[in-house]
Amino acid sequence: MEYSSDGRIKRGNHAAKMYIIIIIKCLKTLAFTGMVGLSLGERHFIQGGIAQDLRSDGRKRLTYRPLSVETGVIPQVNGSARVRIGATDVIASVKAELGKPSLLQPDKGKVSLYMDCSSTADPAFEGRGGEELAAELSNALQNCLLGGKSGAGAGIDLSSLIVVEGKICWNLYIDGLVVSSDGNLLDALGAAIKAALSNTGIPRVQVAAGTLNDEHPEVDVCDDEFLQFDTSGVPVIVTLTKVGRHYIVDATSEEESQMSSAVSISFNRQGHICGITKRGGVGLDPSILLDMISVAKHVSEQVLNKLDSEIASAEAEEES
Amino acid sequence: MREIQLPLSQTQKVRLQKALETLESLSRKVNSDASVIVADSIHVNHEDGVLKGHGTADLNGEVVATLCGVVERVNKLVYVRALRAKYKPEVGDIVIGRVVEVAQKRWRLYINYNQDAVLMLSSMNMPDGVQRRRTALDELNMRRIFEEKDVVCAEVRGFQYDGLHLQARSRKYGKLNRGQLLTVPPYLVKRQKQHFHHLEEFGIDLILGCNGFVWVGEHVEAKDDMIEDEVSQSDHQVLLPNKNSVSLEEQEKNYTILETRKYICRAANAVRVLSTLGFNITLEIIKGIIDLSLSMNIDIHDMLGSEFGVLVAEKEAERRSSNKKKR
Repeated sequence: MEYSSDGRIKRGNHAAKMYIIIIIKCLKTLAFTGMVGLSLGERHFIQGGIAQDLRSDGRKRLTYRPLSVETGVIPQVNGSARVRIGATDVIASVKAELGKPSLLQPDKGKVSLYMDCSSTADPAFEGRGGEELAAELSNALQNCLLGGKSGAGAGIDLSSLIVVEGKICWNLYIDGLVVSSDGNLLDALGAAIKAALSNTGIPRVQVAAGTLNDEHPEVDVCDDEFLQFDTSGVPVIVTLTKVGRHYIVDATSEEESQMSSAVSISFNRQGHICGITKRGGVGLDPSILLDMISVAKHVSEQVLNKLDSEIASAEAEEES
Repeated sequence: MREIQLPLSQTQKVRLQKALETLESLSRKVNSDASVIVADSIHVNHEDGVLKGHGTADLNGEVVATLCGVVERVNKLVYVRALRAKYKPEVGDIVIGRVVEVAQKRWRLYINYNQDAVLMLSSMNMPDGVQRRRTALDELNMRRIFEEKDVVCAEVRGFQYDGLHLQARSRKYGKLNRGQLLTVPPYLVKRQKQHFHHLEEFGIDLILGCNGFVWVGEHVEAKDDMIEDEVSQSDHQVLLPNKNSVSLEEQEKNYTILETRKYICRAANAVRVLSTLGFNITLEIIKGIIDLSLSMNIDIHDMLGSEFGVLVAEKEAERRSSNKKKR
């Protein structure tokens, strides 16, 4: 790995192409775990199941629940998708607006993530109850999808959002909504965002030729011509939840209530890590963390394939 | 209760539709006008006079439903009992609840009713099995019996001025350990002669609570909990609830053995499948599903997939039509 002068890890042609941007943040344990109260016997049963590699719903430790994708669920936005993993149900939408790029990065567009937890998902989310969790989720997704400050590891190519350098760019507003929560929200939201982005059509923009050098160039937004967004670089998030000595993927809320810590790692098609975030109060041994990364990488390949085929069939269904 | 929708392919949709149509054609025609959806008119005899109850409204002199559910009539009163609603207790129901509070001489239990149910210390058998007055010491030792968050099985005793009362006057009631609690819509569990089931071939217990809480767990012999030294101890001192002070290794030895756990998960998934399909939950049907999954060699987790769901619907249609022919 090469380091740039300001100490950040730079993208380079190093042999071991692992650009790790480790942004490990210890987030509060409570908000994610929900309000599940389990008796000692039930807790013991869940822990035993994880130790014996047979979880309460018959899954193995590294098996996902059935995943289903629906695209184009909101007509008013540029792209939207709904993802269900078991009883977890989330919706993501992408809205594109023309705006001005920031002075520091005149050749890049902007992406903002905003998550929301509906009070239909859990009575605890009523009023301002869901805000803390929503903020945590947005932060974690930011770490996992948008890469570091230097722009390395970003799932979305920000320079493709530029229309006129320094003057006009597309701003993407990605909103997520948790409709029903049964654990593993981060993976579901990550998948929903990926599906929503692949469903996104950005209108073709024509800049009036004479006004290109003006301060405010005139633009003409086409209503019927859309550019497909390139989502091949958007990573998937795999969360490994550690319960006892073992770790599991796709934990339900009951299992999440028993976790000691959870690590969410995002991988892209090439198997590169795009971001890591950790939550839960208990520390992790570095060797375990590396072990988890290699397991998560293996799982992420399956998830990516599954997700891609689901997105393709959802889009085919939408068109028909 | 979080609902799961099965993602179905085109052929699966057609098959499920067909199975459901068969089931509908088999249902009894006598009471078919009793189930209503919103804005259906309810037939009433205006000469006798009617009392419009919950879920009904007056529209141009006609009584219409404002809820989806079943029309119930009690003398003059006409009301609609919604299907997707909270549990409505009846005396003698077997329910499963979760302790939310240990209060003065009573436990409060969440049973999916509008209010928490009350289980009095005096309306349950003491662990030592002796019939006697409950002393202050017993009251102090209440957490030895049930703690907060414990899953408890009891019977509905009746309504009193301070709420719904439960009782647990038999050894079959009490705390449930080593297993999992499932929640299904209460209307799926019908009142039956027997709610406690021991599936001997699998070594598991199945308790179908009328409130839609279903317990699937390792089989425990209904044994006398009388332990002499503990009784003599409890006569004189306040006992602390035994916290999980055992080490991790010891705990692992006590885990449910894998073979039993497999059957527990299989039975639990059978209940989950029935709940997603909206079929009644009875021992016979659950056993049928377990056998079906075993005979087809289906992985436990794949029981929750759409293919198996459609298969169960088809089998159920087949079973009910063959039952009909026999009659």
